[in-house]
Formats: sequence, C-alpha cells, structure tokens
Amino acid sequence: MSSSLNSHLIKKVLDPEIKFKEATSEYVDFTLSNVDLSLANSLRRVMISEIPTLAIDSVEVEKNTTVLADEFLAHRLGLIPLESYDIDKLRYNRECTCDNYCNRCSVTLILNVIATEDSSKSVYSRDLTIVQNDHIKNLKLGNPAVSNDVPEGILICKLRKGQELTVKCIAKKGISKEHAKWDSAAAIEFEYDPWNKLNHTDYWYETDAKVEWPIGKNHRDEIEPNEDDKFDYQAEPTVFYIGVESAKSLPANQIVIRGIDMLRQKVDGIYQELENMDRGLDLEEDLNNNINNGLGMDIGYQDENLGEEGDAYGMPNFAEQDIGYNEASNNNDDYGEANFSDDDEGDAAW
Amino acid sequence: MAVVGTKKSLNKNDEDHSFNELLKDEYKGKKLADPVNKLEDKWELLPAFLKVKGLVKQHLDSFNYFVDTDLKKIIDANQMILSDVDPEFYFKYLDIRVGSKSTSQGKDRTQTPHQCRLRDMSYNAPIYVDVEYTRGKKIIMHRDVEIGKMPIMLRSNKCILEGCDELEMAKLLECPLDPGGYFIVNGTEKVILVQEQLSKNRIIVEADEKKHIVQASVTSSTHERKSKTYVVTKNGKIYLKHNSISEEIPIVIALKAAGLVSDLEIMQLVCGNDSLYQEIFAINFEECSNHNITTQRQALEYIGAKVKTIRRQKLSIFQEGVEAIATTVIAHLTAIDMDFKEKALYLAIMARRVVMAIHDPKNVDDRDYVGNKRLELAGQLMSLLFEDLFKKFNGDFKNSIDKVLKKPNRATEYDALLSINVHSNNITSGLNRAISTGNWSLKRFKMERAGVTHVLSRLSYISALGMMTRISSQFEKSRKVSGPRALQPSQFGMLCTSDTPEGEACGLVKNLALMTHITTDDEEDPIKKVCYLLGVENISVLDSTALHLNFGVYVNGTLIGTTRFPAKFVSQFRKLRRQGKVSAFISIYVNQQQLAVHIATDGGRICRPLIIVENGKSKIAPNHLNLLKEGKFEFDDFLKLGLVEYLDCNEENDSLIALYEKDLANDITHLEIEPFTVLGAVAGLIPYPHHNQSPRNTYQCAMGKQAIGAIAYNQFRRIDTLLYLMIYPQQPMVKTKTIELIGYDKLPAGQNATVAVMSYSGYDIEDALVINKASIDRGFGRCETRKKTTCVLKKYPNHTQDILAGMRVDENNKPIWQHEPLGADGLGEVGMRVESGQIYINKSIPQVAEPTAMNANGINQAAPAAFKNTPVVYRAPEASYIDQVMMSVSDDEQSLIKVLLRQNRRPELGDKFSSRHGQKGVCGIIVNHEDMPFNDQGVSPDIIMNPHGFPSRMTVGKMIELVSGKAGILNGSLEYGTCFGGSKLEDMSKILVENGFNYSGKDQLYSGITGECLQAYIFFGPIYYQKLKHMVLDKMHARARGPRAVLTRQPTEGRSRDGGLRLGEMERDCVIAYGASQLLLERLMISSDAFEVDTCNKCGLMGYSGWCNTCKSSENIIKMTIPYAAKLLFQELIAMNIAPRLRLSDVFAK
Repeated sequence: MSSSLNSHLIKKVLDPEIKFKEATSEYVDFTLSNVDLSLANSLRRVMISEIPTLAIDSVEVEKNTTVLADEFLAHRLGLIPLESYDIDKLRYNRECTCDNYCNRCSVTLILNVIATEDSSKSVYSRDLTIVQNDHIKNLKLGNPAVSNDVPEGILICKLRKGQELTVKCIAKKGISKEHAKWDSAAAIEFEYDPWNKLNHTDYWYETDAKVEWPIGKNHRDEIEPNEDDKFDYQAEPTVFYIGVESAKSLPANQIVIRGIDMLRQKVDGIYQELENMDRGLDLEEDLNNNINNGLGMDIGYQDENLGEEGDAYGMPNFAEQDIGYNEASNNNDDYGEANFSDDDEGDAAW
Repeated sequence: MAVVGTKKSLNKNDEDHSFNELLKDEYKGKKLADPVNKLEDKWELLPAFLKVKGLVKQHLDSFNYFVDTDLKKIIDANQMILSDVDPEFYFKYLDIRVGSKSTSQGKDRTQTPHQCRLRDMSYNAPIYVDVEYTRGKKIIMHRDVEIGKMPIMLRSNKCILEGCDELEMAKLLECPLDPGGYFIVNGTEKVILVQEQLSKNRIIVEADEKKHIVQASVTSSTHERKSKTYVVTKNGKIYLKHNSISEEIPIVIALKAAGLVSDLEIMQLVCGNDSLYQEIFAINFEECSNHNITTQRQALEYIGAKVKTIRRQKLSIFQEGVEAIATTVIAHLTAIDMDFKEKALYLAIMARRVVMAIHDPKNVDDRDYVGNKRLELAGQLMSLLFEDLFKKFNGDFKNSIDKVLKKPNRATEYDALLSINVHSNNITSGLNRAISTGNWSLKRFKMERAGVTHVLSRLSYISALGMMTRISSQFEKSRKVSGPRALQPSQFGMLCTSDTPEGEACGLVKNLALMTHITTDDEEDPIKKVCYLLGVENISVLDSTALHLNFGVYVNGTLIGTTRFPAKFVSQFRKLRRQGKVSAFISIYVNQQQLAVHIATDGGRICRPLIIVENGKSKIAPNHLNLLKEGKFEFDDFLKLGLVEYLDCNEENDSLIALYEKDLANDITHLEIEPFTVLGAVAGLIPYPHHNQSPRNTYQCAMGKQAIGAIAYNQFRRIDTLLYLMIYPQQPMVKTKTIELIGYDKLPAGQNATVAVMSYSGYDIEDALVINKASIDRGFGRCETRKKTTCVLKKYPNHTQDILAGMRVDENNKPIWQHEPLGADGLGEVGMRVESGQIYINKSIPQVAEPTAMNANGINQAAPAAFKNTPVVYRAPEASYIDQVMMSVSDDEQSLIKVLLRQNRRPELGDKFSSRHGQKGVCGIIVNHEDMPFNDQGVSPDIIMNPHGFPSRMTVGKMIELVSGKAGILNGSLEYGTCFGGSKLEDMSKILVENGFNYSGKDQLYSGITGECLQAYIFFGPIYYQKLKHMVLDKMHARARGPRAVLTRQPTEGRSRDGGLRLGEMERDCVIAYGASQLLLERLMISSDAFEVDTCNKCGLMGYSGWCNTCKSSENIIKMTIPYAAKLLFQELIAMNIAPRLRLSDVFAK
C-alpha cells in the first residue's frame, strides 16, 4: 500500500460537514463537504424519489358535469401537493391490514362545488376539504399545500353556471419513484467543482472558454485556480453545492433531513442483513423472505388494485409489521428492507 | 345604405387627414431629406387580408358565385319546358333562389350544422324557383316552388353561420376557428378538393423534337359541350385535327372553309411579313391546290365529307361542313350568321403559333406553368352537377307532362305544377349522392370522376385546415413523368413550396400558399368595351397586313383587336383597374414574343396581392399602416385606394417584384407584402424553415397533420368516429407569424419539451427518444381518444322494431358482470367504465321481421314477442369510459343511438413523437427522474434525443428553435421563428448570456446515476414536440390460437379479426433454403390448417369415416394429414371433372 493511497483514505475519514447558506421553508441552500461524490448523489437521488409524501391516489367521482373528463380531473387532483409533515403516522396502503383503505393508511378529502354565479367559477385546491378523523386529528397531514402569494392554491378546473363537481379523493402515502405526484422536491440544485479543476468536463468554446462560459453562483465559494497550477490527477470532488426547492408538501429543510434519514435507513437495512448473517440465522429463509417482500412491493407498485394476489405475497410480513408499527425503530427496519430490495431491483435493471 | 355611405366618407376624411399630416411633416423640414419610413409593419396587411378572405375564401367565393350567379345562368339557359303534345303549353323558369323564399328576409332554416353532424343529416337548403306556365288557356305565375334541396357549404352566404361572431357561433355549438368551406352530408363532413386543370379555351403549343411534331391545341369548354381542336404538323405540313372529324384537314382548306379564300390573306394572317415564316408555311398551299379547292363552298364540302356525326336527319355534305365549322371546331367561339371571321382568325393564330414553334422549338408553352393552369373549385363542380341534374329533372318533368297531356279528354284542366314535386327528390339525392360518394358522373361531358370529395380529416386542426387548401391534380398517379411533379418557379407565392405528400402523389397534390386568391368568372363584354375605348382597333375592321405588325389584344385567349401602343394600353388598363373601374381580379400582361396583350377574366386563376410601387417608392406609406393598425382601414381599402393589387401568375411575369424594401429601384413595379407567404398554412408552423434541408419541411407538413392536439372549441361536443385529443396542449415557445394568423396558438397540437441532445442508455438508437417518467406522470404527452359507436333501432314492416333490453341482474339484484356499464334502459351510463367483453348497448332485434301473413280475418296476428339479443360488446385491450350517449331520430324516422367511448392514455414505449422539423421518433425507454441527467439548477430534460439525428438531416432550424426557445424561457417571452425572419440568433444568444448561460445553448450536465458531471457539454433547451396518432395501444397484436376463416380454415388475417402473424413467401423461402423441413411443416400446416383426411389408396380419392365412397370399401383407407386448403383444392378440382388422385407409398418401405 502506497502512502499516497493511505493519505487519500485518511482524507475521507474526515467528518462530513454541512454548511447552510440559505434556509426558508421553500428553499434550502447548503454546502456538503468531505463526502464522496457517490454519497452526495445518493442524497440527491433519495430526495428526488424516495421521500414519502401524501397525494391523492384514487378519486371517487360522484357527480361531474364539468367539461373535463373524470380521469382528467383525477390526474389533476393527484398532482396537488398535500401537506405531509406527519406522513410517518400513516401506513402505506398496501401494507395496511384494511380491505380497501382506512384512516390509518389514507386521508380522505372532499371536493364539492356548484357554480351558481353567471360568470365562470374557478375551483381551486383550497376548496378541497379534509374529512377529519381521530387518527389524523392534530396532525400536519392532508391539507392542500398553498403558498402565501397564491392563497387559493392550484386551479383545478372551471365551472360554468349550473355545473357541479362532487368528488371524494383518497390520498395515500407513496414515494415519487412510483409516481411524480409524491414528489417532495421541485428541483434539486447540485454542483461541484465550479472551476472545473478536476477536468471532469471539457469546455466547449469557439475562441476562449473563460470568456464564453458564464460564472455561476457557486464559483465565488472556491478559489479560482491558477492556470500554472499542476493538475492534480488524484483529486476527487469533496465539496457539493446543493439547493433544495420544496414542492410545498414538505418544508425544504425536512426534505433534506428526511433524505438523509432515508439514506441511513437504507444503509441500516444492509447492515441488519449482514448482521443477521453473522448471527448465523438461516440465510436462505431470510433471502426468500426478502424476495417475497420485494415481489409484493413490486406488484403493489404497478397496480394497487391487483388485490388478492398482491396480498398473498405480502401476507407473511403483515403480522410482524403490525406489531412493529408503534415502535419507530422496528418500523424503520421494515422500510429499510423494503426499499433495499426495491433498489436492488433498480440496480438489476442497469 | 346610410351606414355604408358614412363609412366611405369617413375613409375619405381619413385619407385627406393623413395626407395633410404628411404635408405637415415635410413642412417641419424634418423628414425632407430622410428616407421614407421603413414599412416594417407591412406584414400587418396579411392578417388584414386573412380577416377579409379567410383561409378557405376560395371555396366560399366559388360556392357563393355558384348559388348567386351561376344558378341563375343555368336557369336562363334551360328556361323553357315545352310539350311535344300540346304546342300551346309552356313552362318557364323565371328565377331561382337557395335557402330563402322571395318573401322572407333572412335564411329561414332551423337546423344547425352541428345538429346535422350529430343526427346524421345533410345540411342543405331548399331551392326555390319562380315559374310561369299555362293551365288551359290561362297563364299562371307561381313563386317559391321547391324543386329540391341544395347542400350548403358551411360559412358561405347561404349558411346560417355567415357573419356570426364568436358568441353566436358558440350558441350554435360551432367553433369560431373552424374554417368552413365543407359540406355536411349524412352527418359526415365532406370537402370538395380543389381540382387543378390545364386552362380552358387557351392555345397550348407543344413540340416533340424527336418526332418533329408541333401541335397547338385548344380545349373548348362551354356549357353545352367540351371539345378539343388541334393544329398539328405532319410531314412538315400543318393540319387541323378534331375528334369529330375523321381525318386531318389541311390547314389552308380549313381556313378557306372559315372564309379566308385569298391565299394572300391566309399568308398574311399566319405569317405576316416574316419571310422565314412564309417559307415554312408556303408548302401548305400546295396541299390545298392539290385538292383543287379554291372556294369556301368547296372547302366546306371537303370538310363535310369527313365529319363523323350521328344525326337523325341527314344533312348535305355542305351543311355538315358548315355545321362542323360553326359548332364543333373551336366550340367556345360562337359563329353568328355564318360569320366565321373570328374562327378563321383563331385558326390562323393557332397556325402561326405552330409555325413559330417550327421555326424555333423554344417557342412552346409549358403545360406545368402555373399560369397555364386553372383551379376548379366546389362551386364550378357543383354547377356542372346541378345543371346535369336540372336537365334530367326537366326531362322527367316534361315526360310526365306529356303523359298527362296525351290523354285526350281530361276532367279538369291540367296543372303542371302538381307533377313538379314528383321529381324533386332527384335533384336532392343526386347532389347528396355525388358529394357523399365523390363520384362526379356527367353524361354531357362524358365526365366520370371519382374521388372528388373527401371526408374532412379532423385528426387535428391543422389537418382540417390543410385539407381545405389542398389541390389535387388530374394527372395519373402511376405515370412516371417528372414534369408535373416538379417544383415550378411560377409556384412562388401561389402554391406552397413545401407542402406535398411523399410517395405516389408527390408533387401532384399541392397546397395553396398563405396569401392566395382564386378568381371567379367575370363578364367579358364590359372588358372588351373598355379595350375599344382605350383605343384597341376592332378585328372586324382589321387589315390583315397589319395584324402582325401591331400587338394583338386577346381577351381570354381570343383576339379582339390590335393596338399599336401596347405599353400605353396596358398601363391605362391597369390604372383603371387600380381605380376600381374594372374588377381587381382581371389580369393584363404583354407577351413580347407573341406580340400580344393578354387579358384574362376567367375563373380559377390563382392570384395574390402585392404592394404597388411607383417611381421606386412603395405606394403604401407608414401612415396607411397606422390606420390599419388602428382598425380604420381594411384590406379592401388598400385595394380601393390602389395601393395594393392582385396579380395572377401571368401578370407577375410582366412585373418586377422587389422582395424587400431595400431592393426598391426605379424599374421595380411591385413590392412583396411578406416573403413568408411563399409557404402555406401547414408549412407555416415550422420555425426557422429557411434553415432546414427542404425535404425535412415537407416531412413535417405530412406529420403536422398527424399530431394530436386540440381540434376545435366544440371538440367535446362532437361525436366523431375517432377523435384524438391532447390533454394539455401548449402553444409553441417559438411561434411563427403564420401560427398566429391561422390560430394554431389557440388550437395547438404539441407540447414544449425540454430536450437534451445526448446519448443515453442505448435505447435511443434509430431516432428513439428517452422520456422522463416524472414528465409523463405530470401530463406530458397524455392524450384522450374518443370512439363512436352508432346503433340504429330499425323499424320493420310487420310493426316490430329493434328494442333495447334492460340489464340482467343476478340473485343479489346486482347487474351481471357483462351488464355492469348498463343502466336500466339498456344503454351504457355516462361515466361508467367498460372493459373488454362488457356490453354497452343491449340491443335486441325481433326474430321475425317479415310481414306476417294475414289470417282469415285480415287482422294481423299478434306480433311474435321473440327477440334475438344482439348486444354491442366492447373489445379492446384497455378499458374505456362512456363519455356521451346520444339518442335521436335520423332523417328517415329511425331512432339513432350514438355512444362515445373515451380513453385516457399516457405515453408508453413505442408511441410516436416528432418535433416540427420532420424528425420523428418512437419512445425507446422511460427513465426515472433521478436517473435523468440534470444541470446545476436541477433541471432535467423531458426528452433525450440522440445527436445522431442531426448531421445527416441538417435540421439547423431545430437547433435555432432550441436556442430561441431557451431564450424565450429566460426572458419570459414567446419568440418567433417565422420563415425568412423571426428572432435573430444573435439576439437570442445575448439573452442566454445575460441570464448566465452559454450563448450556444449548451449546458453542463451531470449524470443522474453517478452524479458526476458529463465530460461533454449538452445542447439543452425546449423544443416543441408533437405526439403523433400512431400509438402502440392501437397496434399491439399477438395471437397463439384464435379464429379461423370459414372457407380455408386458416387463421384469419389482421389485427381487427385477431388474426395470425403470417409466415410469408419470402420467410418460407428462407426456411426451405435452410432445410428446416419440420419447421416448415409445423408453420405451414400443423399450426395453420391441418386436416385429417381418409384417403383411399386404391382410387386415390378422399373418403370419410374410414370408408371410400368411390370404391365402396374400407379396405385401403389411409388416414393422413394435409392442409385443409389442399383438401379444398382437390374437391374443387373434382367439381370441375378433374380427379386428383393421391398415390401413397411408404417412405421407409422395406
């Protein structure tokens, strides 16, 4: 082992560091340093696709005399961000013991509008009213998220005089890997090495790259390299400039926190599995369990309405989960497991 | 009237006012030396033009001309009906009207076009005539007699939509953006395409240089007949040729027959003083003298002997000759009182043209030249059809009158009007049938044209619009001549240079450019008078020596006189036209080669408006344009003031047109309004088309018509057979002026997708696209399909009728699964989901539909209550929802049910997309959001496109669209990519730089998978993408087992019949060559139509059940498997007395 490699390893052991530049409920801007590129990207990916939120998943149309078709409206309703701060208190619908949906795995919202005025009436997301029950009482959950500048929320559709819209919306917990409506972050800014010291990029230019390429907002945070500097071919990116913009279902800081948490849970999942191996547990049985779990998830992802078949796969786990539901740690493990296998599947595709 | 008057005076005031202002400006001294203000806004004339004309004005003009003018002409020409029996009797048409009675003011119809569409009716109006006839001794006048119904073109002046504003249109459930110009027949929208033809009544000279044949031909077309007269060369001599004359007539004889007896005169008229021409022509005199013909009578008799006619009473040879010259040769000229001078001149001129072409083969006409083409529109075709039907109607009417009048003693005096209604259905159904089938068969002209009408394509707004501007050619598609298909330079500004289909109809089907007008017929006589007033010397006083010294003046191809000062005459005539003294659509031009001034007043010429330039200055001043912008001026005001005029193709060639204002010089006569009007409505959608390789624009023209989008404002009210709609259509970020003019921004078909031009995943080869899953989740490329099912509840003669059975319920009082979508009435309930196998119309038909036999009492037996269930079952891979259920009664009192099924589709693998640059591709993979590449702002693309799509296609316009679109996003503006203009790339780059982007439109992107930044910079920005109608869901098909054809027992063919996938001949050849005999056997027989037969090894014929019926024994029966088709063949051969015998032997015989 050469010494340089050693030093390289030592550098990595440095504690990860997060420096916040800006933090509001809608936007957080921070610098993540002393981590590997893969870790920083994992965080980004998790924040995009795996933070559970609440979104309308099925719509029971009672009356719809608007110009828009039922499916059209259902799609629009699904994309409305709902407040999901206390999403942990809700189960995934497919993991719930109920037949169809219940208070523990869903939030019901009602939309009931009749246009009586002569001019056209706009239906906004604030017109959605939540159906209260004991489970979600006092929870920050299910209300349509609105920003202060647009208090009425999102325009759902417009009604002409006499038209009516009465729908019951069932909002469920989910992650945006399944559908973008569960997306918590609008866009995640991500940059490293603004001066291209690592030469990861070949500048495209006609006459002079320096003149032709604009200076971004993160350039100032790093020292401009001297042109005479020797190229350090062993250098690796360590500082990452990340900005998270919320889609309003979760505050921006929560997205980051939950993203890190999610990542940790996934690692925990791997850790747990390896631990089990050491403990000499029956590996094969465990593996089977895992596969079943994964399959169940898979089917669930594609279509919740598959019903019995999906349940049959998921069954063995249900008892465990139910007991573990109140204990946070156990619960987490479950998720970790599930997500791990899911990721596995994702990798396989590659 | 008062209103019009004030408006006129108002305009005048404006004019004076503006003129004063101009003067003031000059007095201030400011602009005295300044160049004239730039006419940057001169394109504003285009919307003004379209406001007045609209995109389909040519159809409407033509139809209006037909119903207002042409109908009256037809009535006048076929005015009288006389009886063969009663010489006293007459029946006379006085007047004709469509849609309104003489008493009523407006249009008294109650049906709206949309009702007609929904109820499968025809949108038509009654045709009323005023008549005068005799009843006994009395003369009776009668007004408003209905003789039939006329299909009405939508938005024509007989349509109730004419002049409606947006609100009124909405009340009638019509889309205000719908162009109109089509008919509704039996509920379907039918367009009569514009037909392109060679111009009528004009001399066309052609030469075959190899065969040394020169021919001048003229197609004469009048109301009565159509015939073609030729003047051709044969062995260096010139002859007259006509279809009804069996032999070619030497030209000199023909001319003598027409009254030119003197050889000198003939020589002078044909050749003038040109000795070269005289030499070429001289030989023809010899031929004449060989026949020893010197007088007109001799010549006429010569011709008369060669005429082929079928006449009732035989005429003398002389009379035949006279008849031939008077009526058949050059039939469009009428000879009055044996005065053939006009015809003689015409023939002489034809001969002269031939001589000229012999002298110099370049002196021929180009058939493909747009100026030699005439466009036949709906009105003209309808007029031909109507006249034919009207004649037939009158014939039938006359027969029925004669039948009654023949009876010697009648109780009452016969009223002819009573029998008029009997035949009125002939006109109605004749017109309807022609439009709905597209077969125009006219016995008079021996015209038999199919495919004249087409169903208006409602696939997208653009496809409907494109159909209205389409021109189809009469040329055969199969002929492999390039001439008619090639792009003609004279198409410039008249016909779109890009919009033509690929494949067999390429170049034969064309489209009108944006700013064109097609003329309607104008009266000739006033024009002739104007010419004489302007100093044209009449031909009747013409000195034949002077004919070719001066310029001939031709009106619609016929010589009417000569002028010594052509330039002066033409400029004076044009002045009159600009003043509005003669119609604006009359064209005049000088042909220096032929020494001719041609004036055209006929219909079907394509023309376009241009700004008049005098003394190197545009007649339009900026203040005119200001007035236009303020709405005080209309396009017609420009025409009236002589600032703008219409030029047809021929006159265009007599002008010098500047493309831009900077090109203005002293000899310039006209200025182009806007160069982008070379393109049509469909090609106008393409941004920066002038940067693209030309075929790409043509491809886009074909694809733009397949793009799914919004169709019309009334799209949700429509019940069409199949409709594709986009859920979230967007107007393009990079627009063109054309887009705004045609309203594509209001009814768009596509979405602005953020595109990264890079390679990704390998699923993007061969133009496949990588699509972001999150984008699809959020509604990118989502579309809706709406399919109609029609069902008629028939009534039968035995007083039974089809009924709707209710739904069947199970023991729990719940409907059975098949009947789940149904309501209590047996029809699907709106909003219900219908899955494959479920029923949505539960129809039953009576088992006995024939009239039951009367029993002894003559009372109908009780109708049998037995019904057969014939439900409409839904069969499709995906479920649908019931969108609308319509119940109505059609024209013939049958109840009509229409059910509209709706499906919502998100893009999937294999769905087809295309940008606006002829770059189509299918979706190759759908990638999760987190795996997509992204830039430092976290923006990831909706679509990733492989860069290999660019180098060979050279669609630079697409790149510029991307840069402009990106700039537009950053700037918050919509940018323009108008042809020969649009937002400049430099400006766009500047905006990019100002917003912290590279000027090239390239961005630094990071890999979504590793987070590492990509080594290359990626071209990244929005491009307008269209979703095309080809979707996997409509095409996917597979079969293991399934239905078989009855006759051959082979698997059925085609997806709709759940057919098998064919192993074709060539595939079979491969398997044979490879030697996989077992595979061959399995594919061609076992998996297809294997059939076990019992063959008799003795007689070789087939038996059954182990018994040979020929040998009457079961001794030698062998069971074997052969294709059922082979068995069928054997049996068919037996049926025609050929006995195919099977001789079987053991392959592995010991």
